[in-house]
Amino acid sequence: MSISLQQISKSFGNFSALEDISLDIPGGSLVGLLGPSGSGKTTLLRIIAGLERADRGRVLFDGQDVTRLPVQKRRVGFVFQQYALFRHMTVFDNVGFGLRMLPRAERPSREARRARIMELLAMVQLDHLASRYPSQLSGGQRQRVALARALAVKPSVLLLDEPFGALDAKVRKELRRWLRHLHEQMAVTSVFVTHDQEEAMEVSDQVVVMSQGHIEQIGSPRTVYEEPASRFVFDFLGHINALSGRYQDGRWENGDAWLQLPGNGCPHGNLTFYLRPHEATLARTPAADAHLPVQVDELSVFGATVKLELSPRGWQAEALEVELPREEFLALAPERKQALFLRPRHLQSITADGGLGPVLDMQG
Amino acid sequence: MHTPRSWRQWLLVLLAAALVFAMLVLPLALIFSKAFSAGWDMILSNLADRDMRQAIRLTLIAALITVPVNLLFGIMLAWCVTRYDFRGRKLLVTLIDIPFAMSPVVAGLCYLVVYGLESAIGGWLYDHGIQLMFAWPGIVMVTIFVTCPYVARVLIPLMESQGSDEEEAALLLGASGLQTFLYVTLPNIKWALLYGVVITNARAVGEFGAVSVVSGAIRGQTLTLPLHVELLHQDYNTVGAFTAAALLASMALLTLVLKTLMEWRQQRQRREHQQQIETA
Repeated sequence: MSISLQQISKSFGNFSALEDISLDIPGGSLVGLLGPSGSGKTTLLRIIAGLERADRGRVLFDGQDVTRLPVQKRRVGFVFQQYALFRHMTVFDNVGFGLRMLPRAERPSREARRARIMELLAMVQLDHLASRYPSQLSGGQRQRVALARALAVKPSVLLLDEPFGALDAKVRKELRRWLRHLHEQMAVTSVFVTHDQEEAMEVSDQVVVMSQGHIEQIGSPRTVYEEPASRFVFDFLGHINALSGRYQDGRWENGDAWLQLPGNGCPHGNLTFYLRPHEATLARTPAADAHLPVQVDELSVFGATVKLELSPRGWQAEALEVELPREEFLALAPERKQALFLRPRHLQSITADGGLGPVLDMQG
Repeated sequence: MHTPRSWRQWLLVLLAAALVFAMLVLPLALIFSKAFSAGWDMILSNLADRDMRQAIRLTLIAALITVPVNLLFGIMLAWCVTRYDFRGRKLLVTLIDIPFAMSPVVAGLCYLVVYGLESAIGGWLYDHGIQLMFAWPGIVMVTIFVTCPYVARVLIPLMESQGSDEEEAALLLGASGLQTFLYVTLPNIKWALLYGVVITNARAVGEFGAVSVVSGAIRGQTLTLPLHVELLHQDYNTVGAFTAAALLASMALLTLVLKTLMEWRQQRQRREHQQQIETA
């Protein structure tokens, strides 16, 4: 079932949580709402579910206006961050709750309900724990029960609010993959909220990046990462280094640091560049077009790439971070406290109004 | 938790036990021994006394009306302040405590001023054949007032800590508002609710100050058990006074026993339920 949001606005007191949000979610897709806390993503999810009512705007399921439809009638499966399992009921009764609440005419017989519950529990691999109470389960098990409970009533839409947020890293990774797999089997339209970039990138077909009640960008994980539509998206997806200085006649300066920029496309005055950690390298000598003296503070030699934390020498900038491929790192063999030069390959310029300016390719 | 190890820890335990004995157990035991001091016959004749029977009846009526009213009121209030956010919510939570903070005598006087015969409301009601003060309705009213915070006070922190996630989950699974309350909210708060009922009942049965102001102390008509105890004591009817007091104490002990019994039963039910599923 497709979901369509039209000009949704919502405020709590003076705080405007959502402003004029429009979004189309095609049927059968798995969409991630990604944003920092306070960006309005959970509010949006709760409006889709019917737990919250928008001040303005409409919600459509398959073209049908459900804006005023009460939460019970929306047939929405919802998974909470804190599981929200019924603590006084067994796993079995939790999963069967939705079936038990059906009106008498639609309610399956006791045996049919039992079969359906056990089938769902087998699907989430918890059939052996049917008689346990939620308090006797681990976090990952609880969230799987919550998922089985949400799926029991065959929802037309599955909504997940930070579903793995309360779990430890290893379980989270496992459940992520498992959710992706489950979605491929069931093909129920699913929307999940997360503040974890990696999670959104790994699980979703489409990522909706939100900030301060606005949608910043909608696209495939690859698109939002490689072609960020705004400074916020660039900043939020992955780490960035910010280089601020004065620009005049093709030359950017900040203390002892300078860049000789190709072309003359940038306005004079203050100019900031964003630099991704993997889009730069380090050398013992400066490049012809870049003179960025740095000192190595920390090395992290764990994994396929090596992370280096750097501090600027003779110019002003926040701590810098660079990621080198392992071979490059071994060839250079830098040590802590060593003085080196940063050589950027791509620089994303930021315009005076805070938008994204042209991307500059350097010699590196 | 561990058993006491040093003599200091034992001393602390001993001190606590001694205090409980001197301040709780001993007076309670003395009440019963005084009541029984003149033998069964005296107790029976005192209990058979018309005024005593009337006092018992009035006390039970007051408790029987007060407990359900405050149960309902407490649930509604706790629901309002823990499930909705509205202007004045904090003020409402503070106002609940008025009966706690105020001396019951003051509460009685307030009711007397508002609903007494001298007042506009009380006068108008009297003209229509309804007398509130110096009659049983007034006693019930002040008892409700004095005991109204108990259930709400027990429920509010619990419902706040439990949050509304489970209720929202129930609604999302298609449960109606009533079903959500019966199947999700009520089971989650039942122990707190029961506890609230027990202390509301104990307080309703034992209330003295507020009731004494609005009752008018009409012998054989508007005396509750606590008022009757005082009256018998002033009449130098020691056995009678202690019989009534023992009766009150028994009611308190009974509520305690009931509470413990229900908790125990509930635990056993839960265990059996689990075993049933496992064997099925």
